[in-house]
Amino acid sequence: MIKAADVVIIGGGIIGCSIAYNLAKKGVKNIAVIEKDYLASGATGRCGAGVRQQWGTEMNCRLAMESIKFYENANEELKYDGDIEFKQGGYLIVSSTDKEYEQFSKNVKLQKSLGIDVEQISPQEAKEIVPYLNADIITSATFCPKDGHLNPFLATDAYAKAARRLGANIYTYTKVIGIKTSDSKITGVITDKGEIATNIVVNAAGGFSKIIGDMVSIDLPVYSERHQILVTEPVEPTQKPMVMSFSLNIYCQQTPHGSFIMGRGDDTEPRDLRRTSSWQFLDEMSKTVTKLLPPLGNLRVIRQWGGLYNITPDKQPILGSVKELDGFYVAIGFSGHGFMLAPITGLLLAENILGEKTTIDISMLDKDRFNRGELVLEPSVV
Amino acid sequence: MRIQNHPILNFEKGEEIKFYFDGKQISAFKGETIAAALHAAGVKVLGKSLFKHRPRGFYCAIGNCSACSMVVNGEANVRTCVTMVQEGMIVETQKGKGEIL
Repeated sequence: MIKAADVVIIGGGIIGCSIAYNLAKKGVKNIAVIEKDYLASGATGRCGAGVRQQWGTEMNCRLAMESIKFYENANEELKYDGDIEFKQGGYLIVSSTDKEYEQFSKNVKLQKSLGIDVEQISPQEAKEIVPYLNADIITSATFCPKDGHLNPFLATDAYAKAARRLGANIYTYTKVIGIKTSDSKITGVITDKGEIATNIVVNAAGGFSKIIGDMVSIDLPVYSERHQILVTEPVEPTQKPMVMSFSLNIYCQQTPHGSFIMGRGDDTEPRDLRRTSSWQFLDEMSKTVTKLLPPLGNLRVIRQWGGLYNITPDKQPILGSVKELDGFYVAIGFSGHGFMLAPITGLLLAENILGEKTTIDISMLDKDRFNRGELVLEPSVV
Repeated sequence: MRIQNHPILNFEKGEEIKFYFDGKQISAFKGETIAAALHAAGVKVLGKSLFKHRPRGFYCAIGNCSACSMVVNGEANVRTCVTMVQEGMIVETQKGKGEIL
């Protein structure tokens, strides 16, 4: 392990690897990424793998648009020896209540004003996109054909390999156990495999980001919550878009392999770090999916798993420097949509760390927006 | 796959019925699974593996391995080793991963 680094990134998910790649691309030589398990072992590898531009806040829309643009050419951009399996089958988001119908009208107006190719459509039109959709229980839908999904493991691998090629050091199965500071400045990172002297630490620890904050006595306004997903046996290609509903609490896509991946949240989850599976999820998930997409009820479930959403009070991430501690940067609190925002997050953090003007102004995503009361609540989260 | 004489157990053979395998009429006995009836009729290849298209036959016989998945009465991915054969059933070799619509 190297003894000193210009930047130490904590977390080997797609966010950490994207930050490492972007820093390395900008010429930073001594980068260390510290991952306690294997790459993408946390929320990245456990996520639903979708990427969408249909958000309810301008910031999330813009972050997502930039990220999708990157994913479209990521294989070439990252000179990947594989394929990240990016498929743009669209996102069909259905509303099931009048209130939601109105929210969608607002969302679509905002998304269109930003140049996103999206339409609000009738239940019948939604049925033309997914013929076996139960149109009787929906009031409308929004559809953006440029949304889609990709493979989180391969996407992380592509970033990690590109970062390594540019000289970044990635240490897996290495756990950060402390951060050294002196006079409100970072001086080093202590891991279970040795110490690295550094003045810059990036907290990209996803579900475990609060623990990293606690190491430097900074109370990060995030909490973690388990969300669960299941995967079915594979069948021939049947469903192109991700089908999603906030009010029915479901998202469901068919992977290129043929299996269906579906997930939902649970308001009653305790705020902790458990990633276990529950039978209640299986019960509720199967009821929800058979109601909205009846033929999927015939599929057998292969397995289910849990992962952590790292959630902020306004469901938007916290990005950039933290004023209490010189050299401490965060890219946390993605509230369940970090995977899809990773490309632009890596660029923004690299720019922020190097003191450049950021591609998108992220000053409103700082940690202190919650103290100032300047929350911009994202309404469209499962 | 039909035990004629067992030292302890006594097998009551059910009545003879007919079903169809890839368009061909095959006889079976009530109380047998589809895979057992096919095996008795000399059908050893129940499907092909997904990636290398190698033959797949009667393997676990308890509904776990999916080697015997076939299309039964239009429904894909039916585990024929744990599904009872019925009069007039239409059993087809499955191509690929199966259609759900």
